Amino acid sequence: MIDYDLQLKLQAHLDGELSPAEARGIQARLARDPEARALLAELTATTAALADFEDGRRLPESREFFWSKIEREIHRDASSASPSAALPWWAGWRRWLVPIGTAAMVALAGLMATRPGLAPEAEAELADPGAFTYRDYTARTTLVWLSYPAEKEFPADDGSDTMD
Amino acid sequence: MRLRMSVEASAAWLVCALVCIGLGEGKLQAADAKLKLEAQLIWATTDHQSPDPSHKPVDADILKKLQDLPLKWTNYFVVNRKIMEVSTVGPVKMAMSEKCEIEVRHVGNGTVEVALFGKREPLVKRTQSLPKGETLVLGGNAPNATAWLVVLKRLE
Amino acid sequence: MTEKDHSSSEDPALVRAAQRGDMAAFEELVARHRDKVFARAFSMVRNEEEAVDLSQEAWVKGWQRLPQFLGESSFGTWITRIIINLCLDHLRKQKRQRFESIEAMDEESGGVERQMPVVTPNPTVNLERQELRKRIDQALGQLSHEHRTVLVLHEFEEMEYKEIAKTMGCSIGTVMSRLFYARRKMAALLANLRRDDLT
Repeated sequence: MIDYDLQLKLQAHLDGELSPAEARGIQARLARDPEARALLAELTATTAALADFEDGRRLPESREFFWSKIEREIHRDASSASPSAALPWWAGWRRWLVPIGTAAMVALAGLMATRPGLAPEAEAELADPGAFTYRDYTARTTLVWLSYPAEKEFPADDGSDTMD
Repeated sequence: MRLRMSVEASAAWLVCALVCIGLGEGKLQAADAKLKLEAQLIWATTDHQSPDPSHKPVDADILKKLQDLPLKWTNYFVVNRKIMEVSTVGPVKMAMSEKCEIEVRHVGNGTVEVALFGKREPLVKRTQSLPKGETLVLGGNAPNATAWLVVLKRLE
Repeated sequence: MTEKDHSSSEDPALVRAAQRGDMAAFEELVARHRDKVFARAFSMVRNEEEAVDLSQEAWVKGWQRLPQFLGESSFGTWITRIIINLCLDHLRKQKRQRFESIEAMDEESGGVERQMPVVTPNPTVNLERQELRKRIDQALGQLSHEHRTVLVLHEFEEMEYKEIAKTMGCSIGTVMSRLFYARRKMAALLANLRRDDLT
């Protein structure tokens, strides 16, 4: 069986995503490997089958009805964006707003930085681009999954066991 | 030009300044505190027991968290468990098994940088806030359709 | 005064007119591109009612953002990108994403697609176009939303890997592995559907 890296390269070759040098390498491999040719043929056939797939689908509402909904929504958004001529109710409190607002923002920032229980910010710098992150906010658990194969699936298997 | 602020506005600015100072001090304290963490190396399987009798099933709280994740395995066994104290001074590196090492650094304010190594090769690095109650799980495939997991959580 | 007949105008002219506030010109653009926009929404969200609602939202947003359309791409491409982003936001918000993640995890962690035997002969050969479309529709519905999305963006929207990665907020490696899985799963599903038909 051809390894996963080659499988993805065959796909990338089909999609025109390889550099010229890589593409030449794949061509050479295809010339001598029937398994690689078969896989490429399958990928090509799937792509061909999907071509023009969406062409036949029609929106199930009449032109006039669909447009009437859009037009109504456009007019509604336009009228809600109009500014009011009257002064806002808070106009008289302006001299308090800056100091009180600033204090509130600083207090909130402090709370966010020191209080446990809020959703943490997370960054991942990944050695492996195949890592997949899943976050369960209720259980407060973050899963980072590395999606490459287990050791024994590598061709150069030295018989060694797993990570334990 | 107005050279005088009203008494009320001055008081509001004073409150603002006091809040800033108070939070600044709190932040300094949080920044350099030591964090006590627990790392567990876990084997995930659909088998009812591990071939190694020293591998015990995970605790109920960890089991619940793992069962809530979108993982296909049903049984989890603790291969190794380590406690570590990490500070902002430098990273702490520990071997979880012959081939698996974990390196953790406290970058400040309860945020940790976690790096995992497999056979001394870097696998993944992640920076994340880890307050009490928060759990970080790093995982990957193992042979025979099983998996390995490293579960990291704060102890205090 | 009679209303101008926009039906014979080209898209760029309609866009310019709509940007000047001509709603009738915009309505003509809607009529021309509404099926394509709906089809893309349906491919992604797999629910007719949601696809119609999202399409409507896309058109309203299209009107609001018309001043920002500079003609660097065709109008059809531009409005399709709006619906794609709306669908992606919609899918992210949906609670059923959790269960699709289970499926995605199961597939990605099991490495199923790497070990599947190659499907031969081509299961889609000799199928009538309509029949093929029906089978593909069924097969698409069985993919997780993440795999379906990457397939739609690549095969229908003809985006490059880099662009898909940026749109979906993931790495190029993830795009490649998801696309590979989606294609192999589609081939297997189409083969199974064909076999079911023959038994």
